[in-house]
Amino acid sequence: MRCCSRFSLTIVCALLIAVTAARAAELEQLTRDGRLKFTPVFRNGGKELVFVELVSPTLYQIRRLVLADGSNEPLHANAPTSEFEPAWSADGACYAFLKTRSALSVSIVIRDKQGVDLGEILPAEGFCGYRSPALAPDHSRVAFSFAEKGTQQIYSAQLNGQDRQRLTEPRGISNWPSYSPEGKSIVFGSSQDGNFEIYRMNANGTDVRRLTDSPFQDIRPRFSPDGNSIAFTSYRDGNAEIYVMQADGSTPRRVTKSSERDDYADWHPGGKRLVIVSERQGKHDLYLVNVPR
Amino acid sequence: MLDIGAFRTRTCGGFSRRSFLQLASSLPLALALPAGATRAAQPIKAKSVIFVFLWGAPSHLDTCDPKPDAPAEYRGPFGVIPTRTPGVFFSELLPRIASRSDRFSLVRTHVTTAPGHPDAGTVALTGFAESPLPVQPNFGSIVARARGDQGGLPPFFSIARGVVMDGGRRIEGYGGGTLSHAYDPFLVGCSESGGVEFPALELLEGLNPLRIQDRRRLSTQLDSAMHRVEQDGQRMWTRKVQSAYDLLLNPAARQAFDLTRESDATRSRYGYTTFGQSSLLARRLVEAGVPYVQLNYSRHVEALNPGFEFGWDTHIYNFELLQDQLCPILDRAFTALLDDLYDRRLINDTLVVMMGEFGRTPKISFRAARDHWPGCYFSIWAGGGVEPGRVIGASDKRGEHPRDEPISPLMVGTTIAHLAGLDTQARAEMNVLSGGKVIDALL
Repeated sequence: MRCCSRFSLTIVCALLIAVTAARAAELEQLTRDGRLKFTPVFRNGGKELVFVELVSPTLYQIRRLVLADGSNEPLHANAPTSEFEPAWSADGACYAFLKTRSALSVSIVIRDKQGVDLGEILPAEGFCGYRSPALAPDHSRVAFSFAEKGTQQIYSAQLNGQDRQRLTEPRGISNWPSYSPEGKSIVFGSSQDGNFEIYRMNANGTDVRRLTDSPFQDIRPRFSPDGNSIAFTSYRDGNAEIYVMQADGSTPRRVTKSSERDDYADWHPGGKRLVIVSERQGKHDLYLVNVPR
Repeated sequence: MLDIGAFRTRTCGGFSRRSFLQLASSLPLALALPAGATRAAQPIKAKSVIFVFLWGAPSHLDTCDPKPDAPAEYRGPFGVIPTRTPGVFFSELLPRIASRSDRFSLVRTHVTTAPGHPDAGTVALTGFAESPLPVQPNFGSIVARARGDQGGLPPFFSIARGVVMDGGRRIEGYGGGTLSHAYDPFLVGCSESGGVEFPALELLEGLNPLRIQDRRRLSTQLDSAMHRVEQDGQRMWTRKVQSAYDLLLNPAARQAFDLTRESDATRSRYGYTTFGQSSLLARRLVEAGVPYVQLNYSRHVEALNPGFEFGWDTHIYNFELLQDQLCPILDRAFTALLDDLYDRRLINDTLVVMMGEFGRTPKISFRAARDHWPGCYFSIWAGGGVEPGRVIGASDKRGEHPRDEPISPLMVGTTIAHLAGLDTQARAEMNVLSGGKVIDALL
């Protein structure tokens, strides 16, 4: 009898743990149109989301979703060409995004919160473009990824493009820079050691440390608002899933679990939830997910 | 879900002659031809063919022919995963396709003669270069000529929002070539939500064929449209109009185009993307008896060019575009297509061929991407008389050149025609695919 009671207690505990874990991974769906979406970011204290959607077969559009009423509209209503990868400064004073100028020619545009241009970093002649702009918390500089001489590296520059400095060694493909909240560190993804892993460095490019070690892609890292955690996408369990680890790379925890794709995590300012793009039943939508403790 | 929307012309002065000719050339004249205009001369193993055209050219190293042991400046940043075929690895970007490798055969030794899209596109679709003229017929036009009308549907469909293009230039090998425009493909577009469009029939503003009940009403609208085009195009219009009647009023055609007849489960397996739902449309057309469907990943090659669809031409952002968009969409849709054909027992009679017009530079380019590479690329073959699970040839250790016998686009077309029932004599009588050899290792 005692044995049976212990067994029952064990089962109940196991179920409780399972339910708790399942609840931690519950998704709250924010959009329902199912179109391809990319790179959502919070702004305005977490009241709004800005994301990229393939609104027609030929156009990426940056859109703004107001969480309170669900309104969803273009950020730049009259943009004639593809715009993508928006990034906001921590204080919301300015933002950056990529703009397609012509065939395979992409610049970084930086604007203040009123929409006034602060600068545009132009691509070189020919096929050329930038990726993944990230604004320093004090918006004194913008970090981005740029390719030349067969590698793609992280750079930073003033908002007008002046004082461009390469921060990473010219090996492999480096991308997705994300500033820590105080602006002293940058976390990024790189194939400098073979395949995509997550690295951390000082904002001036010194003291590079590798944080992950997986034979499959670890990409798109994002510092949490308190700087203690990093969310990222990993293929280590067979397809794209969201993980969170400590800022030193320790204790990685899986946040999502689906046979479909979960990607593009960004932290809610409260630090307890992430917005992600999830593919569910073949549709791509924005979801909120709790970060497991 | 079948929409014929407003016609738009860039001339702003009404309907241009070019626009009208686009309309006329897309209509299914072949419907009016007698069935089996040229009879196939040997057993038909592939009653239908789906040619999945990865227009713009995917990187072979980052998809189906990875080189994990190559130097860093070649191999790229992606990991590799095992397939179900012993000793064969794919990029980690294609896990679903890798898990179905026992359902298809892989060719890794393709070469082509042209380094640029327009000509290489024509070579890929016809087996021959654009010049010297005349342009040879698309493989689909050859099969269409052999089969003729099948159950009231055109024998050759090309799924895209128009003729495949490189920038503003049409690919000359898109259609009937020496066999005449009668064997051009019927163009049909498909949106990410499954809405089917006839790009050139947009001249008939507001017309929805699923709701057409009155033939006289359609006739009135067509007559009205005809009066709006230039005089010199009217003769061609008259020739085509009966075919338009047949297609738009044909219950079989309307049913084939209506993706809402599929369950949500089936539609979601393909994914709600343009290519996903287009792949489902391809399966429905095959199920309806269409002999040849060219399923284009995109209408345009460009990866990121204002006004153009996102294709596989990744001169910049190769790795990002592959991991963000191109490979996930392809992996889901192509796997769903294969599984669906198997589940419905269509695969034995349906040949599926998937390839681009060339490969991409094994050595990573100045802009950390990959450029055009005609020296080596891959294809995937399934069903329709092809033995699954085989690997035909290998590329060298950097993926630069075939280590074994090179396989040309002409051999691809000859093999398709062979499996579709056209033997050497039938091809000679049609004066097509001259000098082509069958890829025996696939059979």
